Amino acid sequence: MDLNFSDEQKMLREEIQKFCMSDYTFEKREEIIKSGEGFDRDFWKLFSELGWLSLPFNEDSGGFGCGPVELSILFEEFGKVLVLEPYLSTVVLSGYIIDNSSFSQRVEFVEAITSGNKHVSLAYIEPNQNFDHADPETSAVNDGENIIINGKKSLVLNGGNADDLIVWVSYDDKKALILIDKEQSGLSFIEFPTVDGQTCTEISFKDVNVSKDAILAIGDEAEGLLNEAINLATLCVSAESIGCMTACYMKTIEYTKGRQQFGQPISKFQVLQHRMVDMFMETEVCKSLLYKAMLECDSNQDTKSKSVSALKYQIGTSGRLVSQEAVQLHGGMGVSDEMLIGHYLKKLVAIDALFGNSDYHLKKY
Amino acid sequence: MEISFTDKDLEFRDEIRSWIENDYPKHVKEKQDKGEALTKEDITDFHKAIAAKGWMGFNWPTEYGGTGWTSTQIYIFQKEFGLAGCPAILPFGVAMVGPVIYTFGNEEQKKRFLPDILNFNTWWSQGYSEPGSGSDLASLSTKAVKEGDHYIVNGSKTWTTLAQHSDWIFNLVRTETTEKRQEGISFLLIDMKSPGVEVEPIITIDGAHEVNTVFFTDVKVPAENLIGEEGKGWTYAKFLLANERFGIAVVGAEIRQLNKLKEIVSKLNNSDLSRKVKKLEIDLSALEISGLRMLSDIETKGHPGPESSILKIRGTEIQQRLTELFVEAAGEHALIYPGPKGHEADSQPDGPDYAAKALAKYLNYRKTSIYGGSNEIQKNIIAKMILGL
Repeated sequence: MDLNFSDEQKMLREEIQKFCMSDYTFEKREEIIKSGEGFDRDFWKLFSELGWLSLPFNEDSGGFGCGPVELSILFEEFGKVLVLEPYLSTVVLSGYIIDNSSFSQRVEFVEAITSGNKHVSLAYIEPNQNFDHADPETSAVNDGENIIINGKKSLVLNGGNADDLIVWVSYDDKKALILIDKEQSGLSFIEFPTVDGQTCTEISFKDVNVSKDAILAIGDEAEGLLNEAINLATLCVSAESIGCMTACYMKTIEYTKGRQQFGQPISKFQVLQHRMVDMFMETEVCKSLLYKAMLECDSNQDTKSKSVSALKYQIGTSGRLVSQEAVQLHGGMGVSDEMLIGHYLKKLVAIDALFGNSDYHLKKY
Repeated sequence: MEISFTDKDLEFRDEIRSWIENDYPKHVKEKQDKGEALTKEDITDFHKAIAAKGWMGFNWPTEYGGTGWTSTQIYIFQKEFGLAGCPAILPFGVAMVGPVIYTFGNEEQKKRFLPDILNFNTWWSQGYSEPGSGSDLASLSTKAVKEGDHYIVNGSKTWTTLAQHSDWIFNLVRTETTEKRQEGISFLLIDMKSPGVEVEPIITIDGAHEVNTVFFTDVKVPAENLIGEEGKGWTYAKFLLANERFGIAVVGAEIRQLNKLKEIVSKLNNSDLSRKVKKLEIDLSALEISGLRMLSDIETKGHPGPESSILKIRGTEIQQRLTELFVEAAGEHALIYPGPKGHEADSQPDGPDYAAKALAKYLNYRKTSIYGGSNEIQKNIIAKMILGL
């Protein structure tokens, strides 16, 4: 029984913290959002130089072979300052699938991702589905040596910046994951901002003709890869939300200590103190569930997806409570878009909506 | 990071398990499982059995006759007892006053009191709260005035658990009126048979006689019964509470209750209730990990971290929620109230066997968020000590 992080893991956290605290100011973040680019390319380059983009990739693909624990550390720290960079979509979701597939150009793709030169997005959600994406309507059919894809995918995270897409399709009586160059003809895009300052894309596929070499995985293998990638991504956003909650209660403490009303700091009022204690307790409860889930994912236990569901249920519920309380205790400042605090609420709402919300995961648990 | 126990710890767990299975008094476990009240004899029986095995001092160092177990072993020991449905060991002697005596008492006191605690020859009670001093414990007014080689004690203590069976009571008393109220408090051991000690029952809303008010009228207490120094009682009292907190991190009994509840609810076809049970299961799982985080901090850093501060609040909330859901599961059958004959097996009504005890336990467990420093006081402590408010 030792629930302490290793020295290497602590060092990684410190390095990420240092970047987040000194470089990722609220003003900088606002600038990135206003640029319409979705993220900052210099930061992405820096992530690559610091080795962060290599963390979860297998060593034989040129990665560091780190696991769910290191990813949780990274996302928790990112959550504290609401990092916008598309780590989740390129490295976690797409990266996991490519890295663990038998795709012939696996090593080249991983190298392109870790060097910061390539973005890949996963297109698995469809307009007529909600949370359950096991049966895609988007289909691929054989056409000699090629396959033809038709259909529509929505909510493709960072789709606008992606160079390639991994598309989840029905293929004969099976399912498949297919890698498509975004320049391929037959694709059309509409880009949307998301509530948390990021971007997503709706993508239509009209007779998109690609070689069979583009098939990353078919059948059970494809389903397994998709589910594993989503499970890992769910863990990551849960850790991110714990970072958000931590920032929420700490910033609320700081704010109430400085805010004078009725001749004293409002932090002296017991009714507010107990609400801040509740925020702290909710965060700690989530952290305990995070430890369980990330360690079970790390050792690949049978119970890991159940533990991830427990975590995702709890962070959805607690995240809502903690960020709403943060807004309430900041008073008018809480609802002002110029202030950071309301953006945590938006992020936590976004996280709840991703990969199955609280309600969905409680049913699944 | 490692969340599992070592093979050695698991062997230890198996030893505890097999002893409970083979040697723990069966009649006590049966009664406890049915939710029936334990008599004084039942309580004595199971303590004596544990004492005979040499495990009574599960949290004591070997030098005073304890087991010398690590925190992990203590955790496993308590968890296994809970999981097996054994009632908790009474904390007043072995977990509360014992460590105060061996830490702050003199040699004479150690020799006089410790062996009887380890053999469960004496029942102890805790004399902390007073009718006028609850959450604000330092305002206590029970007075001990020194006259020669005796103290004369006047005042009263209340919510005294099982004082009707007690041989001794450890008391916080005021020996001096000081500007800083905490500095005038002393820690005094009082023989319950002393003239002037009177016990008056308090019947709680579940109909049970668990707590009492103890009155002291000109009670003569030998000065040798004072622990440590006069005026240092508050320090010893805080030491005692810190020791007590550890037990809260253990969730064996709650896991057993939850499993029972899940079995009941699985037959009810009530999706709303099933959903509540699932939520509670997740809460309990989080509490268990929080307890393990505390254990890990104690084992690797020597002291618990800030996460331990939430355990009392969350733990009691979950205990109460469990009792609420049993009542909900029992539906209309929960109406039966344990009156004078309610605890007797022959007065059980037909219907679900858990129903008749569900409401009594629900009512009884309202105490958990009140005792040991009410949950509101706990929040004050977290606000001040952890959040710096």
